[in-house]
Amino acid sequence: MLQQVWADAQQTLFGSDGTDGSKLAVGASAATLLATVFAFLFMPGLSFPVLAGFLVVTAVGWVTYQGAIARLLTLIATILTVLTVLLITVFLFVRAVPAFTEHGPGLLLVPVKNGDPRWFFWLESVLPTSETFWNPSGGAYSLIPAIWATVIVTLVAGAVAIPLGLFGALFIAEVASDGLREIIKPGVEVLAGIPSIVYGFIGFQVLNGFVQESFLDDGASFMIAGIVVGIMALPTIVSVGEDALSSVPDAMGDGAIAMGATEWQTMKSISIPAAFSGISAAVILGLGRAIGETMAVAAIMAAGVGLANPLFDFFDASATLTSLIAVNYGSASESTLEVLFVAGVMLFVIVAGMSVVSQYIEQRMKEKLKGQA
Amino acid sequence: MSEAYTHETAIISEGSNSYDRVLDGAIAISILAFATALLALIEIVPLDATGGELGSFLLSLFAAVSGAVGLTAVASWANVVPVTSQRVRGIAVSLVVTAGLLTAIAYAAAVNLATIFGLVLVVEALVIIGAGISSRLAIVDTEPDSSAGLLAGGAFAAVGLVVGGALGGSVVGFDSVLWLLTALVAGGGLGMVTILPREDIGSTLPVGLVVGTLGVAIATAAIGVGWQWNPETLSGGFTGGAVIPLFVLFGTLLSAWSAAKCRAGFGAQGREYGAFFVINLNALLMVSVMIAIVLFVAVKGAAYAIHGFSAGALTILVVLTPALALATEIARSPSGTGDWHPGAATLFRLTPLAATGAVAAVLTTVLVTGQALRYPFTYLIQVNRESEPLETAITITPEPAVGAVMLTLVGALMFVVLFRRYGSLRNVGATFPRAETVRQAVPAAVATVVLLLGAFVVVGSSPAGVPLGTTLGTAVVGAGGLAAVGLTALPVAGVLTRDGPLADRLQASAPLFTVGIFGALGLSIAVLFLQPTAGVAPSVLGVDIVPAAAVLAGLLCAVAAGAASYGARTTDESLQTRLLGEETVLGLTGAAGFVTLLGAHVLATGARFSVLGTAITTEGTFSWPMLMQAYIPLGAEPGGIMPAVVGTVWLVIGASLFALPLGVGAAVFLTEYAEQGRFTAVVEIATNALWSTPSIVFGLFGAAFLIPRLGGNESLLAGMLVLGFMLLPLVLITSRESILAVPDEYRDASAALGVSRWETIRSVVLPAAMPGVITGGILGIGRIAGETAPLILVLGSTLNATEPVKVLQGFRFVAQPPFIVNDQLLAASASLPTQVWAVIAAGVSGSPQMGWATAAILLSVVLTFYGLGITARTYFRRKLNYE
Repeated sequence: MLQQVWADAQQTLFGSDGTDGSKLAVGASAATLLATVFAFLFMPGLSFPVLAGFLVVTAVGWVTYQGAIARLLTLIATILTVLTVLLITVFLFVRAVPAFTEHGPGLLLVPVKNGDPRWFFWLESVLPTSETFWNPSGGAYSLIPAIWATVIVTLVAGAVAIPLGLFGALFIAEVASDGLREIIKPGVEVLAGIPSIVYGFIGFQVLNGFVQESFLDDGASFMIAGIVVGIMALPTIVSVGEDALSSVPDAMGDGAIAMGATEWQTMKSISIPAAFSGISAAVILGLGRAIGETMAVAAIMAAGVGLANPLFDFFDASATLTSLIAVNYGSASESTLEVLFVAGVMLFVIVAGMSVVSQYIEQRMKEKLKGQA
Repeated sequence: MSEAYTHETAIISEGSNSYDRVLDGAIAISILAFATALLALIEIVPLDATGGELGSFLLSLFAAVSGAVGLTAVASWANVVPVTSQRVRGIAVSLVVTAGLLTAIAYAAAVNLATIFGLVLVVEALVIIGAGISSRLAIVDTEPDSSAGLLAGGAFAAVGLVVGGALGGSVVGFDSVLWLLTALVAGGGLGMVTILPREDIGSTLPVGLVVGTLGVAIATAAIGVGWQWNPETLSGGFTGGAVIPLFVLFGTLLSAWSAAKCRAGFGAQGREYGAFFVINLNALLMVSVMIAIVLFVAVKGAAYAIHGFSAGALTILVVLTPALALATEIARSPSGTGDWHPGAATLFRLTPLAATGAVAAVLTTVLVTGQALRYPFTYLIQVNRESEPLETAITITPEPAVGAVMLTLVGALMFVVLFRRYGSLRNVGATFPRAETVRQAVPAAVATVVLLLGAFVVVGSSPAGVPLGTTLGTAVVGAGGLAAVGLTALPVAGVLTRDGPLADRLQASAPLFTVGIFGALGLSIAVLFLQPTAGVAPSVLGVDIVPAAAVLAGLLCAVAAGAASYGARTTDESLQTRLLGEETVLGLTGAAGFVTLLGAHVLATGARFSVLGTAITTEGTFSWPMLMQAYIPLGAEPGGIMPAVVGTVWLVIGASLFALPLGVGAAVFLTEYAEQGRFTAVVEIATNALWSTPSIVFGLFGAAFLIPRLGGNESLLAGMLVLGFMLLPLVLITSRESILAVPDEYRDASAALGVSRWETIRSVVLPAAMPGVITGGILGIGRIAGETAPLILVLGSTLNATEPVKVLQGFRFVAQPPFIVNDQLLAASASLPTQVWAVIAAGVSGSPQMGWATAAILLSVVLTFYGLGITARTYFRRKLNYE
């Protein structure tokens, strides 16, 4: 067993065609790198000299056994990348554990109003309830309002982005001429590139005033944040949806057209059904973007935490999970920090999960289309 | 989609009748009302505008429409872009007619915009119902299906639910159950009306009902401009000002769809026309939103961002040189497609060149007359909630000076461009025995200078008190300068001393060109480096030798280039023309090289150099306070955001240094070395998931993991690493995709030649995959350059930073471990995105104008990256397709 592991490790490290010399070079390089890592972890002061040693050894190896060293370097890059991913994931969870153990279900306090717990999808009978639900100094940390705020903002964003995005994807994939596509596709990419803080600043400076005047609102509200976030999620839906529609084999559309169908009939009855799973992946990814959006929401809505009253009042305002972290982190006490990590873990799990699901759907669609093409 | 069915217009080509014309009119008025409602929504035109105000707005709309249609009509008439579709023609004519009609109504009747909107909707409803009925009664020839279909039925049922619910709710209130009943009745009714009758009724009557209801409500001012509905259950409410435009947007979209359907005679054709209409309008809407956002930010930020901008005319002329090269390149490139008239294509290709010439002439005028170009303007800034006017100006000064940095950069750029363009002059021209001697002597001379340089570096400029530097150094520098000038004089001398036609003389002197120019450049570079090590800057009669030599040598190169260019015109032999072209390029390369040397000399010695009244200075004549100054506390002029710009530059550099090698390396391993299996699949899924992880989560990680390990403070280094973590997945994904896209044939062919795996990767796979890697990298950098959320947790920015980070100066070597430290990397920094956030967070005390200007600059930085990335991709793709 151990021997097997050792053999595998050797195989990974040296590749299958190593000579003694190349093994020596690779081994020395890898050993000095390991030493660097240890030095960084336990004697940070020494890490630079050891790192310099690694660089020298590697440079010597590069001159003598370039192929083997190059392979080692790419291996190191891979290991570091994987480690980064693991580190981020594990660290987030570890930091969130204390808050979980300390507060438990107390993180999901349902607010009480006029003596009665607020209606929250019949969950109020299961979850603990409290008059104060967000009071860092008093130890009341309910993430329910922030979660619900995230849900409403995402719903509004979805209402804006999904129809517009799907029509946009249809336009680029099926309707636009080649020349027009050359212009609009990069245009959509540029729309995705506009930094969120710029959207936030527009919302903060302009849209809030507009809402006060036209919608008799106090200013910041779920609605305006949702619309802005929807515009931000739009490019994701358009480009992923367009990819899905374009990956439908031409032969399928040609078949329909040969039967005398119009382009719209072909689109409606062939392209969209064939690409349906890809389109739903686009919607999932777009909603994931909307959930994770921070700066626009933080800039538009005030930092207060409160459960919308009534639940579907999209003129109300509250910090979402993301803006809760962004706004409170700087001034938070240790116990609040831990709660913020719980919020971070929630976001991470939800959005990463959505990404994995959408990848799975896309994969399946590709395989299916491959079988039919 | 295949090309088989793209010409839908060819199917319907018979002349249009009145039915068609009326429906084209309905479509046109929908488009007009849609656009106007958008403008009304963002309050460019008030809803209660009447008489002259409304009239002048509509008049400008009419003018815009007429202009657009007119130009298109001319283009169509001249066969530049022939428009053959009857429908497009009909809509275009109707656009002009209806815009004119609306303008006339606005001037003639005392109605406000809201009422006009209402009337438009009512008219459209009537037209659509009329069209449906005339189709049903077989007055016109259409091909309707038996039903409008479940999809349309469901959509109208939903519309009915909402409208009915809202109406019921506002009449009887939401407390009683009645509103639910009205909603259900309206929804069900509309759904039935859509599905049950034949298609021509089913897709017009419900539209007419809905649009008509909206129109009547608006026209009778039941929902007027001052209308408000403020339900107690909601924190906000609705006003006429917002609701009317939204109703109009919805109503016009609906009626445009229906009218388009009627126009194409229902059935499959009708559905297609209707659906395409909506899809196209939606695309138009998206593009206009995008353009509006970018323009809005740019306009808002422009005044503050260019406050106090000034530049010397000479500086701009220098900067214009690369533009000239680019314009020439565009003018030389053949026109792309045969669709255009060749004359028009040539005109477009020449435009950049002409524009460059025009700008250069204006700048030269400024230089010659000594009159500054000045564009003064005033704008408002917000100081403690009060608007204050601020006067400033953009100036182009006639100062005959150019900054050394600018000169060096432009010179180096031009040198690289020209040198790449230069091919070879090997084995051309007569043999000069002496030239051979020079060819061997120059490297020897350069080597001697370099040896001397090394000696000075080792022992110092005055070893053991002997002033070797001032004596020997001065002599060598002087001799080197003279020799450089002599070498560049070689081509000219060669041409002058020979006999025969100019072109032949030039061709024969080709070896003198290469020896003279390359030799002089090499010698000058060596001398330039010798100067600081020897600690001398020799001058004769107050003129520094090295820059003077560079100017002379540059001029001689330019003369040689000019002669070669002139000589090329005097000959008809194509080979000779080509060779003389090479000589021209070589001469220009030399000139650019000497200009670079000139700038580098001034940069290195810090002494200004002036010739013929033109100065090359260390302090340039280019001043852009917003980017080049830090915040000035209590200053009269608004300061700049230089610390933020510097911070963003370092963040981008740091993140790229971290993520690009790691990402590309990992992609190579995963694709080329690792076995494709579960491990690679898991890594791929994980990186994809990491890519969509909210940025704030990265910030959380950075703040809690990196900061305690990097000195405990918010720092630039932490910001770099966090952004690097965010960039890593994207680089990995795009690199992996582009490496996977390299065909296996390449690898097999290379392996068949006995090339090792790594050599194959390095010389075959990576070059082929490079375009994708570069594009992905640039786009990713653009994305992280604008990233804010993680930075507010880890960077520690403050509003109004006065000092930029000085990373390069921050490196220090210390005696104890870790031997090398950089306090600046571990200090907080400003950055563009966090600067915008700081303005927001500062609330009232933040200056909105500074926020807009910062946002505009941030946007331009990010969009530049995106533009570069997209251009690179298009360029590589074209190259791939045409080669």
